[in-house]
Amino acid sequence: MSKSDLLNARYRAHVAALQGALDAGDDVAFHHAFEQLREGMNVEFMPELRRITASAQEALRKFREETRLDDLAANEVPDARKRLAHVVKLTDEAAHRTLDLVEQSGPIVTQAARDAAELLEAWSAYPHRERVGDSLWPERAHSYLERAVKETEQVRNNLNEMLMAQGFQDLTGQIIRGVISLVGELETMLGQLVRLSNGDETVRALRVLPATAPDLSRGVGPTVPGVNGAPAVSDQDDIDALLKSFGG
Amino acid sequence: MSNAMKILVVDDFSTMRRIVKNCLQEIGYTDITEADDGNTALPMLQAGSFDFLITDWNMPGMPGLDLLKAVRADARLGKMPVLMLTAEAKREQIIEAAQAGVSGYVIKPFTAATLKEKIDKILATKAAA
Repeated sequence: MSKSDLLNARYRAHVAALQGALDAGDDVAFHHAFEQLREGMNVEFMPELRRITASAQEALRKFREETRLDDLAANEVPDARKRLAHVVKLTDEAAHRTLDLVEQSGPIVTQAARDAAELLEAWSAYPHRERVGDSLWPERAHSYLERAVKETEQVRNNLNEMLMAQGFQDLTGQIIRGVISLVGELETMLGQLVRLSNGDETVRALRVLPATAPDLSRGVGPTVPGVNGAPAVSDQDDIDALLKSFGG
Repeated sequence: MSNAMKILVVDDFSTMRRIVKNCLQEIGYTDITEADDGNTALPMLQAGSFDFLITDWNMPGMPGLDLLKAVRADARLGKMPVLMLTAEAKREQIIEAAQAGVSGYVIKPFTAATLKEKIDKILATKAAA
């Protein structure tokens, strides 16, 4: 049978019923004929529709599996948010610590400079050395030097503390690097999703990151509360004990 | 070993290398060289005459654990004191480092006092051996 013969065979009766109902002004008959036509078309197109639906579902299933979509959505993206929040906390704490030390050191140095200036002025008020002996200048100078020894040590300690506070950059850098990696994976995944929704059912499987547990041997970065799995050992004595029992 | 000790500091973050260098200088060690990864550090160790290695763990090329293992496997470098200075703090990791022959392990964030204490301890152990 030719295609037009097929169409004729399938639809002529329905079309005739529709036409007849229209000519007779019969709404009920029209709707009935329309439903019959629709059912006929459904039967014809259903297999194709099913094929397309199954194909799309299969493509989505593959996509979910190969991009680790479920794991990303349920675990890794929420974890990444916690990691970045922790970075904000660490940088905030480091900045405040440094500012505290600056605020402590500033007045010490300012006062020391003032005292030194006063002493120098007192010295220059006495052009003849012997008159200086009459004043309390030597005692004042001695007292200043005693204070200076303590204060310079205090400022030196504060500077050392400021140095150590900059350690945040290494820790936050490691955490951010991990999140950058995740964002890269999301970027690739979204690209695939765009192609998939454009009708490209043959989206190639791009295994961006291995779907395995983090490799402790390579290092996983700083502990982030509520994120990193097994708890960390934080006490130096515990660490030393472990080294002793397992090492040399 | 005197304060003329030649130390290699390995960390992929230059800020951390600077901090460690400053700490070491504060306690009297001035001969300090830097490397940014296990891959760059190993040839330096093999070519140079370093007395002490301080290394991070989490580095993109060759991680610190692999550097430690390479050092211990090297006939000439095998006995070098190696201090790991790292944010990696899981129990299994510390055990793995211990089994690989690490001499000391300090967790970040750390204090200058802890660093000094661990270096002194490693040197004392080495001297006693």
